[in-house]
Amino acid sequence: MDRRREALVGFVVLLGIAVAVVGTIWLQGGWRRSMVELTAASASVGQLVPGASVRFRGVAVGRVEEVRLAPGGDAVLVDLSVDPGLALPENAAVLVAPESLFGDWQAEILNRADFPQGEFLDYPQEGVLPGTALPDFSRLTATADEIARNLTVISERFEIAFTEETALNLKNAIDNIGEISNGLNEMIAQQAERFEDLSRGVNASAEELGAAARSARISFERVDSMIAGFDVGGIMANAEASAENVRALTEDMNASLEEIRSAAATADSAFGRFNALMASAEDGDGSLGRLLGDPALADNAAEAIEQMRALLADIQENPKKYLSLSIF
Amino acid sequence: MIESVLRPFSTLGVRFLALLEELGRAATLFAAAFRSLRNAGVWFPNLLPEMARIGVASVPIALFIATFTGIVMSLQASYTLTGAIPVYFVGTLVGKTMILELGPVLTALTLAGRVGANISAELGTMRVTEQVDALETLAYDPLAYLVVPRILAAVLMFPIVVLLAMTIGIASGWVTALQLLDMSSPEFVKGLRLFFDPWDVWFAVIKSVSFGAIVTGVGCYCGLRTEGGAEGVGRSATRTVVVASMLILCLDAFWAAVLL
Repeated sequence: MDRRREALVGFVVLLGIAVAVVGTIWLQGGWRRSMVELTAASASVGQLVPGASVRFRGVAVGRVEEVRLAPGGDAVLVDLSVDPGLALPENAAVLVAPESLFGDWQAEILNRADFPQGEFLDYPQEGVLPGTALPDFSRLTATADEIARNLTVISERFEIAFTEETALNLKNAIDNIGEISNGLNEMIAQQAERFEDLSRGVNASAEELGAAARSARISFERVDSMIAGFDVGGIMANAEASAENVRALTEDMNASLEEIRSAAATADSAFGRFNALMASAEDGDGSLGRLLGDPALADNAAEAIEQMRALLADIQENPKKYLSLSIF
Repeated sequence: MIESVLRPFSTLGVRFLALLEELGRAATLFAAAFRSLRNAGVWFPNLLPEMARIGVASVPIALFIATFTGIVMSLQASYTLTGAIPVYFVGTLVGKTMILELGPVLTALTLAGRVGANISAELGTMRVTEQVDALETLAYDPLAYLVVPRILAAVLMFPIVVLLAMTIGIASGWVTALQLLDMSSPEFVKGLRLFFDPWDVWFAVIKSVSFGAIVTGVGCYCGLRTEGGAEGVGRSATRTVVVASMLILCLDAFWAAVLL
């Protein structure tokens, strides 16, 4: 009976210890073949912990053995154990990234060129792979939260600034810009026509200038030919005679101009007196002024003239009635 | 008038002094039991029987409780972890909970009722029937004979029972996940391994050792302090279960604060 009890106790104790040992080893990943040790360096490792999986092209090839700070604390060294059959890619690097949304992280071996945006840490030690870590989800959510807040502020400001009146003003401004644009188009079209006309005129002028140049060249050639014919003395004599004639003509013109200036002065004086006379007539001075200013007087004058005209006619017909001519 | 005012303070003082007296008696008992470790010739022959009685005999009830704890944990985890949370977290939750908390604590509470009450009743009966006094009369160290083997057996066997209970609890949760939750084994194992740390197992073992010492120590103290016949034995058994359960929970919080 005691022997049986002893055996039972021994069995239970061994069973408990075996379960603990085997279970722990199995939960840690089971019995593994001899693995190859690698070390990677990164500025940070997020939430990577020992036991996290190491993946290559998405396939689990090992596990993280240890995560420790480098001497000096300027980097984090991650010890990895990977399958000995794994052929590391060229420019191998380690990307530490979340495996899922729930806090489990992994280390991924990749070609550095496959992740060019990653800022891999080149640790100054032979055999240490460069590594980098993606930002934690909390950082991403914090950044997203900040962006959302900024967007909220922008939308609020936009809402404040963009009222119905603003929209109408904006519409008017757009319409005005359209009109200005049309005006500019028309003006550009007109200016283009003018420039075309101008260019045509310039062309014509250029052609005329060319023709003048050709004429001048012909004239110069003739002058040259004349100079070459030794008739310069005659030409100069003719020119001197012509100059003398011009001088005499100029003197005659000066004299005529002097007479004209005198006549103009006389006319100016006559016009001055006439102006004074007209001014006094307008003011009602003198007979002419009263005639101009009083219509009754003018009518009386016309009537007197008419009577005088009748008197003269009567005198012409009956001179004796009015004239008594006696000699002695 | 003055007496009625002072009565509450007096009552509080009496109770506090009684508590200190109890603690002093308990400390004296355990110190004496520690000294009795020298009498290996007395306690060692009783160690194996006590291991069988405390440990091996407690395995079935511990495994029964762990089995259903694992089933309930798996079902409740799948009920809680819905929507965006991956289903393999059921394995994580079952494993972590069974190893860190439910395995050691539920097993210890169960054994507080089964083992602690048993020891208290046994020693209480010996005390009220003056068998303990007889041992002292025969110059037999009652602590080395009655207390040390029980405490040592519990310290040695509680971790074993807890380890088996944790294993069975996880296994039952696994089977439940496969059969009732449409999970696959790789999914459950992935979750189980996801945040596993070997230190968790050591944490459970350390807690189990302390729980074993507490359950049997309280049982022995209450049993040896039994007075008043059969009624006193019943009170001692009840007191053992209550005090041991409270101390288990207090120790659980203590170890969590200290070790995690």
